[in-house]
Amino acid sequence: MRIRFPLARPLSRVAPVAVAGAVLLSTTACDSQSGDASSGSGRTLSLAIIGTPNSFDPAQLVEGQQTYVWNSVYDTLLIQDNEGRLVPGAAESWEYTDDARTLTLRIRKGMKFSSGTPVTSAAVKATLDRIRATPGASQIGLAAVASVETNGDHEVVIKLRHPDGSLLSALSGAPGVIGDPKTMTSKGSALNPVGSGPYTLDKGATVNGSVYVLKRRDDYWNKKAYPFPTVKVRVIADRTAALNALKAGEVNAGSVEATHLGALKSSGFEVTNVEATAAGVLMLADRDGSKLKPLGDVRVRKAINMAFDREKIVKQILQGSGKPTVQVYNPKGDAYDPALEKTYAYDPAEAKRLLAEAGYANGFTVPMPSLVYTKPFEPTITQSLKDIGITVQWETVPAQQTNSAFISKKYPMFFTMDGLNTAPIETRNNFSPTGTRNVFGTTDKRFDALWDQANTEVDPAAAAKIYQKINAFTVENAWNAPVFYAGTHWVTKKGIRYLGDGSSTFSTVRQFGITGQ
Amino acid sequence: MITYVLRRLGTGLVLAVLVTLITFLLLGTSFDDVAGTLLGSGATPESIQAQKAHMGLDRPVLTQYADWLSHAVRGDLGASYFTAEPVRSAITARLGVTLSVVLAALLFTAVISVALGVLAASRGGAVDRVAQGASLIGFLVPNLLIAIALVYLLAIKLKWLPATGYTPFAEDPGSWATSIAIPVAALMVPGIANLSAQIRGAMIGELRKDYVRTLRTRGVPTRSIVLRHALRNAAGPALTVLSLEFVQMLGGALIIEKVFALPGFGSYAFDASLQGDVPIIMGITLFGVLLVVCVNLAVDLVNGWLNPKARIH
Repeated sequence: MRIRFPLARPLSRVAPVAVAGAVLLSTTACDSQSGDASSGSGRTLSLAIIGTPNSFDPAQLVEGQQTYVWNSVYDTLLIQDNEGRLVPGAAESWEYTDDARTLTLRIRKGMKFSSGTPVTSAAVKATLDRIRATPGASQIGLAAVASVETNGDHEVVIKLRHPDGSLLSALSGAPGVIGDPKTMTSKGSALNPVGSGPYTLDKGATVNGSVYVLKRRDDYWNKKAYPFPTVKVRVIADRTAALNALKAGEVNAGSVEATHLGALKSSGFEVTNVEATAAGVLMLADRDGSKLKPLGDVRVRKAINMAFDREKIVKQILQGSGKPTVQVYNPKGDAYDPALEKTYAYDPAEAKRLLAEAGYANGFTVPMPSLVYTKPFEPTITQSLKDIGITVQWETVPAQQTNSAFISKKYPMFFTMDGLNTAPIETRNNFSPTGTRNVFGTTDKRFDALWDQANTEVDPAAAAKIYQKINAFTVENAWNAPVFYAGTHWVTKKGIRYLGDGSSTFSTVRQFGITGQ
Repeated sequence: MITYVLRRLGTGLVLAVLVTLITFLLLGTSFDDVAGTLLGSGATPESIQAQKAHMGLDRPVLTQYADWLSHAVRGDLGASYFTAEPVRSAITARLGVTLSVVLAALLFTAVISVALGVLAASRGGAVDRVAQGASLIGFLVPNLLIAIALVYLLAIKLKWLPATGYTPFAEDPGSWATSIAIPVAALMVPGIANLSAQIRGAMIGELRKDYVRTLRTRGVPTRSIVLRHALRNAAGPALTVLSLEFVQMLGGALIIEKVFALPGFGSYAFDASLQGDVPIIMGITLFGVLLVVCVNLAVDLVNGWLNPKARIH
């Protein structure tokens, strides 16, 4: 039996436009009457982002806010729409074989790179092969791929070493881009990319590291999903400078801190609060207790989970921009279960009892890396754990040593604030035996069984149920101590609206629409 | 004179080699971290080793430095590990932004400080007290605060000037001037406070000297005594302070560039240091050393031109 994933809804090709239309319908009249002449199809989206985009070499792309630029230039095989669903991108349909070891993608006909060269299966194969062969952040997304073959000009067959439930999600991100084989290996492609995406990079107006100007292509297959003829992405690392740029009208969209919302709202800006875009998680990485014996005991891990007054942390440290949680999965995603949130109520007394029962009545000491982003949370983490008898020794780690510190296995526990992703990728990263956040490589037979099921299940609805079981298993066994979801406040000028609700945390200009269209 | 200049430049080059060597040796301890940062949260020990090998960071540190130096002497400073942007052109472009701001601030600092210092020293009384008061305030108020106040007033409220960003001079001189106006104002306030006090002190000292009394008795006009004689003699120490101000402004430009989102040298250096972008750090170190050497040499030459006693024979 072959299960097909054509697009559950043919209309989903224009899903972003449909979503935009639906969300904006109610405000159309109001905005039209406001007389805002700048509203309309001639408008430029001028977006402030925090980090400088990396190289545009298809094999070196990095996900995050810089995705706004490269995802405008390159097509991806699949697309994650604003509701978090995987819908057709350059691949108009795809199907897995029963054993989930072979994935066939049908490439849309008539697509062209901005150079005029047609997009073919050979270009897809060349890009995938290049990503697989080149060290870079995307390589992990294609780790299960054994070979990529073409079948005619518009069919690509990907054979896997083992089933990989996260592959489709990966193909909607950086590992799924299509580069022009004629140019992507040249040095120039790193700064002057040639893709088949909705925009081209205007090199004349772009200043590397500062401003990236994108011009929409008239011949793009999905032009309707991109209402802005011009997108200007400005790198403004300083939050105050970004706020000033918004207030002065130099950018018309950006994210700001909660404390600035009141003033911006009263100045006529539209605010969209996304409750969860990242998760603050105390990783209890040494679950086997190989370096810190107490962590091998589930009672100790549960005690740690009970040590945090999550409501208070969200209210006081995040200033309400987020919500408490004991889960690592996107609350808008398939794996999330609201019922699990009651698993670990704040209860220091019970936590101390559990520690005593586990033989650690006098507590223990644990070293943790002190990182740039952990600073605001360190006093609270220290105090919360001290209250149940655990002493934290913070060791300063420079920003550029963050990942090295995690994988050094020096720290049995560490605090992360990773952006949320799809359930298969969260599972792969956080819990799989080779997961990048599972740095001690711990595992469990019960998890392994669920993980195997999830990877071989090719029906998304059935797979979602398995990820829910994985979520429940990891929460109940306290594999980590998630503390909160951190949110993002998007601010847009009148006439522009942020269309996302957190279901997808993929940074793309498809998340912005024009009110009145 | 030419021998002196060549000798100073030669010393500068030796200094540049030593400083870049030390910098590279220090960076050599963090090559794992660079690879880890490049790979992001997906880094594993195996992928870090593969990334290092791909970038040539698994070779002995001295071999890598020799490789860098051999390319550097040919004008090739490599490319950013993260953006793949060629370092030389990137630094040149960003240096242009920073120097636009710093040199303009330096020019205004020099002109206004000379005017304030000379007025305060030669007029005394209320003018002197006002100049000293202004100088004290300039010392006390951080330039970041000045920047924020100016942005709020001139960019957000009045919308006369841009709050962020930079327009190259070649593109539009008018927009270039408005884009650097607030950063320049913020940067020059502490400089004026410092330099005007220095010039005032030096001028008071000069105006009390015997040659001034002699010039007065010979009927030389006060204006000429102050500007042609006393100021010329007082300019030596002031120039030294100005050269130090230049170096200080280059450092201060980092914060100003962040606050105004200017694509300058300072913020570029800061970001590269955080990421561990070795080629950029090395290029910035080299440019920084050569820049300071050249500025110090220029100051010494101007000093000699102003004051015959300071000339090198």
